[in-house]
Amino acid sequence: MKKQKHPSDLMDLAESLVSFGRSQGADEIEVSAVEGTEFNVDVRHGKIENLVEAGSRYLGIKVIKEKKTAFATSSDLSKNSLQRLMRNAIHRAEFANCDEYAGLPPLKEDTFDQEVLDIYDPEISDLDAQEKIALAMKTEKIALSDRRITNSHGASFETKEIKIYLANSLGFKGAYEETIFSLGVGVQAGETDKKVEDFWSSSHRRFRNLETPERVAKKAVERTVRQIHPRKVRTQNVPVIFEPPMTAWLLGFLFSCVSGMAVYQRLSFLADKLGKKVGNEKITVFDDGRMRGKLGTRPFDSEGIPTGQTTVIDKGMLKNFLCNIYSARKLKHRSTGNADGAGVGPNNFYLKAGEMTPEAIIKSTDRGLILIRTIGHGLNPLTGEISRGAYGLWVENGEIAYPVSEITIAGNLGTILKQIDMVGNDLEFRGSISGPTLRIQELTIAGE
Amino acid sequence: MKRISPPQNSFPFETHFNIGLADLEKALNLALSRGGDFSEIFLEYKIINAIRMEEEIIKETSENIVLGLGIRVISGDRTGYAYTNDFSPAKIKGAALTAASIAEEDLPRIAARLQSSHSPHDLYPVSSSAHEESLDKKISLVKETHEFASHFDKRIKEAKIMFTDQTRHTTIVNSEGLFISDTQPLLKLTCLCVAEKSGKREAGFSGGGGRVGMDYFKKNLSPSQIANEAAQEALNLLEAVVPPAGEMPVVLAPGHSGVVIHEAVGHLLEADFNRKKTSVFWDKLSKKVGDEQIFIYDDPTIPFFRGSYNIDDEGTVPEKTPLIEQGRLVGFLQDRLSSKLMGNPLTGHGRRQDYTCIPIPRMSNTYIENGEYDPEDILKSVDRGFYAHKFQGGQVEDSGKFTFSVSSGFLIEGGKLTAPVKQATLIGTNIDILQKIERIGSDLTFGLQTGTCGKEGQAAPVTDGCPTLKISSMTVGGLK
Repeated sequence: MKKQKHPSDLMDLAESLVSFGRSQGADEIEVSAVEGTEFNVDVRHGKIENLVEAGSRYLGIKVIKEKKTAFATSSDLSKNSLQRLMRNAIHRAEFANCDEYAGLPPLKEDTFDQEVLDIYDPEISDLDAQEKIALAMKTEKIALSDRRITNSHGASFETKEIKIYLANSLGFKGAYEETIFSLGVGVQAGETDKKVEDFWSSSHRRFRNLETPERVAKKAVERTVRQIHPRKVRTQNVPVIFEPPMTAWLLGFLFSCVSGMAVYQRLSFLADKLGKKVGNEKITVFDDGRMRGKLGTRPFDSEGIPTGQTTVIDKGMLKNFLCNIYSARKLKHRSTGNADGAGVGPNNFYLKAGEMTPEAIIKSTDRGLILIRTIGHGLNPLTGEISRGAYGLWVENGEIAYPVSEITIAGNLGTILKQIDMVGNDLEFRGSISGPTLRIQELTIAGE
Repeated sequence: MKRISPPQNSFPFETHFNIGLADLEKALNLALSRGGDFSEIFLEYKIINAIRMEEEIIKETSENIVLGLGIRVISGDRTGYAYTNDFSPAKIKGAALTAASIAEEDLPRIAARLQSSHSPHDLYPVSSSAHEESLDKKISLVKETHEFASHFDKRIKEAKIMFTDQTRHTTIVNSEGLFISDTQPLLKLTCLCVAEKSGKREAGFSGGGGRVGMDYFKKNLSPSQIANEAAQEALNLLEAVVPPAGEMPVVLAPGHSGVVIHEAVGHLLEADFNRKKTSVFWDKLSKKVGDEQIFIYDDPTIPFFRGSYNIDDEGTVPEKTPLIEQGRLVGFLQDRLSSKLMGNPLTGHGRRQDYTCIPIPRMSNTYIENGEYDPEDILKSVDRGFYAHKFQGGQVEDSGKFTFSVSSGFLIEGGKLTAPVKQATLIGTNIDILQKIERIGSDLTFGLQTGTCGKEGQAAPVTDGCPTLKISSMTVGGLK
């Protein structure tokens, strides 16, 4: 499909809508526009399954009139439709209640260098479809060449190019572009009724920094075959080692508990804990939107607030909640540049690495579980309770003994943060939420 | 070209997309310009209105419009797909050619002339469309729910109410000459209550809706019922004990527990997983997989249900589809691609989240049919066990391993419900659990009309149901 290189028409459209809204009687207006193009190929058993190539645009509006708020979004960008949408929003705002905390953030001077952020890879336009398809094909082929692998969920290669524009009635005007490349494969091992499965994928801002097909395939195979012939263990309390993807999962839950939105509504068990000790001194957590080339990096948030580094937990002490302007005003906090649509989202949210190698952590565990995957829901920010289906590897005398499945883990995030007794040195930024290997002193495993 | 009279429920896509039938026919042919078995255009125009109330005020309202089209070409088992929300002739041509590139025969095919048709179903004849209702009235409904929730008990400290109404117009045209449209309403009113007692806080949830009109909240499910149920759950949880851990008999409450059927059985009977042989069920068609008393169906044709539709997102007229009868596996949920590759008839289960997505086999309203046991007798048959009352959700893998997150339950002691129990996870494998369904009650109920199922990143509204069920033994993941 033909691609426009640097269209500024969306910036113009956003600005003209801001002016139009003002002329229609709104006090404050914010307009964002997003233009995305995607390419995605799924291959399975050496053949293309799906090939998707497309582009789309949409626009978001926030209107405030007399401290009353209305939102609108549209993928119909015709002028008539957008003007009608804006008029509707201004009209609808009157139906909301007056809310003294509503309003756009004050304009904040900031400069950023798109080059330094390094979140856009110009190479995206040089890649041709055949090259992308070949990468997915190669990855799956390598994975399937392992005799222990009995079926394939397929391999995928995906690229996304996104341009973001934002303008508001206080004079903010900003734009940036970003790219994401992903390569992944999922496989199964074992016979029909005793199947095990897993996957591996690599995502990066730059094409050349993606993991190789060999590495992605090897990881997917390793992660799958290590689960063959699982056992069920009896119900007990043991130390649990979280592999980095599991730490990221745990941190995702922590994020939902330090989100300003959950905190001001008192829907988080951490709501009253600012300035207090919530974990042991091994726990330091940051949110940072300005790390070079990372997947959670962006120059400003969805309200135009410049991103930066926020210390969330410092050696166990809860230092900051992560806020958009609304929750910030509610909490008498500052906006941390975490606005994401109407809510709050992570930039690069991560737990600082420790010094132990993952091998050393396993070695120092007499008896316990390495948590490799969880499934299900079972997270309650209000209480911190965690309850999930789990897959793992059983550890005996500091060594991996056998795989375990059909168990659950249960615990409380508040307790877990105090019981993390080992932190690995293997922090890698594989998504917008990342963490190293961790060991929790004790969790309940339910099995037989 | 010949003027075709619009079918029932059609939406005037010409005005929203600024294109005509002739343009669509042209694009269908262009999409087959490199060969291929099938081309299709899916046009979607969706309006979603929402009202959010929390901290005792109407915080905001929103209006969201989704407008776009997707062009698909199938060649053997390969799918080419492109979508756009720019409807200029050049963009549509570009999208058609992109989708076309999946076929590499260089032997153009010709699409059949479009023939207007319509579904025999009329599953949501709504008399009081929310779309036409005034914002004032909708806000009153939200406030009324809030009023009931916040006055239910002094310990209720916060009530969050959400109301959304959606109208989704779809038109599907394809190279076999199909031209069909549908207009699908979807309403949802939910209430989340937070209760507090001596520093302890717990949340309860309830809601309702479906493909209904505003009068549903007068005639079928009132705001007070929704509010009371959410508030009561939050209060129960304040007194709840931590769940037991280990294997024990489990009784599933009627209604909400339908999610167990959805996860443990439904997903793995979606045809794509069986065509690809990744599901444990792929080699079990017509084989016995559970006890003789088990009958499981997926029925997209239940009037006014959230998971229902007059046509699926490929334009197929859906049918009630038997999945398991007398414990025997009798069918899969099919979309066009899988049905063709497997040589099985279409069932009308090809659904997609929106125009940016390729359709895949999905559930609609999935349920386990009534059995013969009295629910009270089922409870009485358990000396010590766990009663799963409400669920947060569930998840399953192709290997058949699943979990359900129970948000509230009860201990069963001496055949009676005793202490309320909070957050627990149930875990098992599907073949195993089907064998362990020991008794099926005679009280089939459907769960809340608020459920959304996720698969491959696509969300779809669904409903599920079941009568009281006794599972002889299941692992309950609690705290020791």
